[in-house]
Amino acid sequence: MEDCDTLMRRVAGGDRSALAAIFDLEAGRLIAIAKRIVRRRELAEEVVQEAFVTIWRKAALFDHERGAARAWMTTIVRHRALNIIRDGGRLDFHDADQLATLGDRAAEADTAYADLSEAEDLKRCLAQLEPERRRSIVMAYVVGFSHGEIAAHLGAPVGTVKAWIRRGVASLKECLS
Amino acid sequence: MSREERNMRAGDYVLGLMDETERARAERDLTIDAEFRDAVWSFASRLEALDGQAQEPVAEGLWSRIAAEVAGVTQQTRLELVRSDMAAAGVPLTPPDRHGALGLKRPMSGFFRGARGTALAATMLAACALGYVIGQASVTARDPEVVVVLLNEQDVPGALVEAYADDRVRILPLTDFEVPAGKVLEVWTLFDADVGPVSLGTMASSREAVLSGPDLPAPRPDQLYEITLEDAPRSSAGRPLGPILVKGLAVSPPR
Repeated sequence: MEDCDTLMRRVAGGDRSALAAIFDLEAGRLIAIAKRIVRRRELAEEVVQEAFVTIWRKAALFDHERGAARAWMTTIVRHRALNIIRDGGRLDFHDADQLATLGDRAAEADTAYADLSEAEDLKRCLAQLEPERRRSIVMAYVVGFSHGEIAAHLGAPVGTVKAWIRRGVASLKECLS
Repeated sequence: MSREERNMRAGDYVLGLMDETERARAERDLTIDAEFRDAVWSFASRLEALDGQAQEPVAEGLWSRIAAEVAGVTQQTRLELVRSDMAAAGVPLTPPDRHGALGLKRPMSGFFRGARGTALAATMLAACALGYVIGQASVTARDPEVVVVLLNEQDVPGALVEAYADDRVRILPLTDFEVPAGKVLEVWTLFDADVGPVSLGTMASSREAVLSGPDLPAPRPDQLYEITLEDAPRSSAGRPLGPILVKGLAVSPPR
């Protein structure tokens, strides 16, 4: 079976059947990624639909030499999902319901970290980070928390959260390289 | 852009922590800054494990909705995509209308007979746009001395060149040059008319490349750069023998 990178080169060459093949391989995974961010299944499907149109239109931008087609698609899906929730207005931090929802979502992020296989470099490297740095990075990535949402959930100033993430990303890149 | 700053921006981009303006800028940089691109895609690929194994069921009609929508959407070429990134930066990369924006008349036969009005104006506009983007992307001691937009005979941009003081030259093709078997793309510059064109190196295909050219004086504004099609491995005469595909004059990027 062809991998995503090979298929994406065909998509860049105008091959619609290759786009369909990528959809068959990746749609379930991408809907799951979008759903962690937008929460609602029908919204997640809408995100993936729009993302596939973007992938088709911009396939020439995909970096043929470096590959990484999956990471490219994931990024398009995540950014589209983030746009949708952020267009929906900023969170009111004083709203108790909202904070409870934040808690549920943060728990989902913690689970994603816990579920990483011990054999993964990513697990080993995340485990080396101080807990608040690790949690900030994982919450941003997995459930799409903004700096403000992370700050509200962890009870820390936004500036502190930004510094945690900045230092955490630097250590993480170092460890993974 | 320092390595730390690059990694930090790559991190914010991949984690989704940028506002719309920052993200648009990052996406422009992704098209032209190979180091930033590496930083982003290597980080994104490593984080993939966090996506987990979860699969959602795929609704019956989803693919047919996508297929129907895609049927009406034309794919954009890399050049169009880079152009729209540039336009988002406020300056179009396309040459201005023949009698248009700058009020310049189309020179007799344009760039290729030495009358440089429209083409040169387009080059400078585009180089300013490029400088704007590069300015955002990589303000370092390794900024290029000059940038060059190489145009084809129809004045359409075919490649961007950044030339550095240490003789490196980065080439970003904006079009797919057809390179038949046994041929190569050879990059030239004319830094001194008495010396004639000097080869900076060859490329096998229309891929972004960094060439480490011969030891030459620092590149200067108005210095001519061109790409020709030569027999592999390189022009046997040490000067261009094959057809000129694109050429352009260097400008200093704004600092």
